[in-house]
Amino acid sequence: MNRTVLIVGSAIGLALVAVLFLSLGNDPSHIDSPLIGRPAPPFALKAINTGEMIDIARLRGKPVILNFWATWCVPCYQEHPVLVENAQRIGSNVQFVGVVFNDSEDKINAFLRQRGSAYPTLLDEQGKTAIAYGVGGVPETYFINPKGVIVAKFAGPMTTEVLQANLSKAMQ
Amino acid sequence: MTATLGRFLILASVFVSAAGSMVAFAAGRKRSLDGLKMARRFAYGFAALMVLATIVMEFALLTHDFSVGYVAQVGSREVPTWVTIVSLWSSLEGSILFWGLVMGFYIAGATWLTRGQHEEYMPFAIGTWLACATFFSFLIAGPANPFLSIPNPQPDGPGPNPLLQNHLLMIIHPPFLYLGYVGMTIPFGFACAALLRGRLGHSFLRPLRSALLLPWIFLTIAIMLGGWWAYEVLGWGGYWAWDPVENASLLPWLTATAALHSAIVMERRGVLKGWTVTLVQASFLLTILGTFMTRSGVFNSVHSFTQSSIGPTILVFFSAALLFTVVLLALRVDSLESEGKIDSAVSREGMFLVNNLFFVLLTFTVLIGTCFPLIVEAVKGKQMSVGRPYFDSMVVPIGTALLFLIGVGPALPWGRATKQQALRSLSLPFVSGVVVATIGYAAGARNPWTLLTLLFGGYAGWVTLVEMWRGGTKTLRRGRRRFGSYVVHAGAVIVLVSIAVSSTMRTSKEVRLTRGEAANIGPYTVTFLVAEERTEPHRQSTIARFAVTSNGKAVTTLEPRMNQYAMMREPIGTPDVHSTLTRDLYLSIMNIDPNSQTVGLMMIITPMVSWIWIAVLMMGVGGLIALIPVRTPSLVLREVKDPLGEDAIPV
Amino acid sequence: MIVLLLLLALGAPQGKPLSGAELDQKTYEIASLLRCPVCQGMSVADSPSTVALDMKAHVREMLSRGYTQEQILGYFEQSYGQFVLLKPKFRGVNTLVWILPILVLLGGAAVVIATARRLESPPAAESQPPTADPYISRVRDLVEKE
Repeated sequence: MNRTVLIVGSAIGLALVAVLFLSLGNDPSHIDSPLIGRPAPPFALKAINTGEMIDIARLRGKPVILNFWATWCVPCYQEHPVLVENAQRIGSNVQFVGVVFNDSEDKINAFLRQRGSAYPTLLDEQGKTAIAYGVGGVPETYFINPKGVIVAKFAGPMTTEVLQANLSKAMQ
Repeated sequence: MTATLGRFLILASVFVSAAGSMVAFAAGRKRSLDGLKMARRFAYGFAALMVLATIVMEFALLTHDFSVGYVAQVGSREVPTWVTIVSLWSSLEGSILFWGLVMGFYIAGATWLTRGQHEEYMPFAIGTWLACATFFSFLIAGPANPFLSIPNPQPDGPGPNPLLQNHLLMIIHPPFLYLGYVGMTIPFGFACAALLRGRLGHSFLRPLRSALLLPWIFLTIAIMLGGWWAYEVLGWGGYWAWDPVENASLLPWLTATAALHSAIVMERRGVLKGWTVTLVQASFLLTILGTFMTRSGVFNSVHSFTQSSIGPTILVFFSAALLFTVVLLALRVDSLESEGKIDSAVSREGMFLVNNLFFVLLTFTVLIGTCFPLIVEAVKGKQMSVGRPYFDSMVVPIGTALLFLIGVGPALPWGRATKQQALRSLSLPFVSGVVVATIGYAAGARNPWTLLTLLFGGYAGWVTLVEMWRGGTKTLRRGRRRFGSYVVHAGAVIVLVSIAVSSTMRTSKEVRLTRGEAANIGPYTVTFLVAEERTEPHRQSTIARFAVTSNGKAVTTLEPRMNQYAMMREPIGTPDVHSTLTRDLYLSIMNIDPNSQTVGLMMIITPMVSWIWIAVLMMGVGGLIALIPVRTPSLVLREVKDPLGEDAIPV
Repeated sequence: MIVLLLLLALGAPQGKPLSGAELDQKTYEIASLLRCPVCQGMSVADSPSTVALDMKAHVREMLSRGYTQEQILGYFEQSYGQFVLLKPKFRGVNTLVWILPILVLLGGAAVVIATARRLESPPAAESQPPTADPYISRVRDLVEKE
């Protein structure tokens, strides 16, 4: 019995197999955001539908739902009515903000005219705000508490259940 | 009905391979020649069933029988016939069936070629092969079943993944890869046989080596085809990104190459038997690991199939095979060693040891780098990346050292090198290295690793050419193994030099052009002619046409495109390339607007990249030369049925 | 104005502003070290996706303002996490991925040296004695040619 072979072989083998078994449930495309628990990166952009200047730092005191989207993104069509509806319902207590990047004002205005708008929509022309927030694709939504700290991030089209679940996190 | 027939054939193959494996191992234990004969019949039986099952599947594909699950998945009446034929390996379930087919061919071939010989080993070898065959038959029968019956078949299907349809390389890369991967099962069987029998006689070394060399040739070419395909199709201008699935194909190649080298020392001196056998086992195990990496969905990769139940199943087989191998080696490896010795470490034998060190180091590094993000996530729950910059920094020094070794190894004699011999082996070829490096410097090479690669490349190239010349046609007829290996080395030198030059001396330029505008890069002038849209059933493409001229003379027209596939979120660009022996001009679209006729274009000039494809083909040819058996006239070296003589090492 | 706000967290640029060919070159270098968040493993330099193009433009702008490579990589790490760095930082558990191969090299070299010593015979003990037998010398010739 060659002890060296047994020990070295078992060590490498066990380590390898253990790592692979532990990784079996992983979804490699799901990436955690490092910003959770940190202050929301500051920005100030002009809303193209209401004309007002939205400065994220001035929105403290209320929870904020920050939704990144674009007119060329198909799942964004699905979630837009959900956001509009919820904004109309609770918009006085919760600030909804939409940020569009890599898009044109005309297309956005046309989209909002067609599908309704209930909250300020900002244009992030070169995607710099998106980068600051670590946005990888659209749609992605950030939940910010009244103190300005990001408590949750959701990637994918928003639904009312997800919205309410994450909103309660922001209200704690 | 077709589905049922297919299922029956696969279930039969599970039974035949399982029974055959047990018969074979029993025959080995009892040393029964009749048992061996029966085991061989089971081996042929497995192969026949796989062939039949594949015929049934191709029949179903070609007749568009959508009641068969796999046909419903990848079949379509609208694609050309050749696409239908090759869609056999375009998706998971069919590709496992294809794996089984290749395995059937290899097992049948190896069984037939060893008929009447090595009767002490063959039962164990066949037993091992059929055990592996049982697993894969089980996969095809269960988790990866292509013969599911669809109760209400649709009139038509979606066709295979469109990404896989648009290039010839995508058609031949999988078969070559499978011929390489699956082929590693055969030497694995031989190695297990030697361990189970408790000895590795000299006469068994040749079958072991040939069984390793054939899949190695296929794997070498398959890896190159993968890189070439990535270059021509993916649009980023490179051919190797250290993607986990790319690494999966490289890992068994590294250990197999190491094994081929240590096998030479084993044959000459009777040493390193246990080590060579270990490398052969590792090559097989790495192919199973590789197929897990590709199919499990656990790794973040361009090539991944989506996660399915097949991942855990393969992992269980891998763990079992790994456990079996470690225990078998621990128990039996010591019984393999014979009383051989080497004369001195400063010799060709010593260089083989160093060669093995570097190849094993490469294997570990690539494996660690690929699995590290998984380790960190499992241990700390954080996600991190290990990407190209890491692999490049690690692999480049080792590759450069290997290049130097290609020169030193053959330059040193067998046995013991005197100081004069060692110095002589370094000096004259070194001059040639300096010449090549100077030419490179004059041509603009400034990167220190590139200059070092040119220096070692010139040195190693000279040594290899001299060795080939010395042998001449006599070696080609009589010493084909050595001549073949020098051809492989010559190819390897060119590959390493071309990789160094093409990666560090490429120039790229990103421009924004409107219709009619031109841009310059290197010796070329690229004029944007027009952007037009084209709609195909599965994709919407925008094509940009460019006229390429050099010194006013027309060179070619290139048409890179931007494709929006129905099933994908981001558009995917297809580049267009003008290849010459000196350099490639590569055009890739970053963004395009047909309305305003503007295009964001990436232009890349990559020198010497075509030499990579050519030189790897050369390596394959060299391997083939080495594979063809040599008929020796000598009485001593001919196969003699003498049970005592088989351990004799020629003087 | 928005950019200044975003970069407030970074502090002042610590290098000199770049321009021209040097800017192009350095943009490419840094973009090659950043991972495109949506593609499967491609670098920002190679990827045609919208996010990657935005990131590349952002890198370029930061370089032109004089931010150093460290600052730029740190900025992206803040928003995207370590995932976005293609070259693992030499910090914490990540040091292992850099050290392990070196350990394997050193360990392997030790094994090779020990193996060579074990296999080596003392000099002049096993060199082949000359022979007058033509058969044996013919056999040796044939074997040497292999």
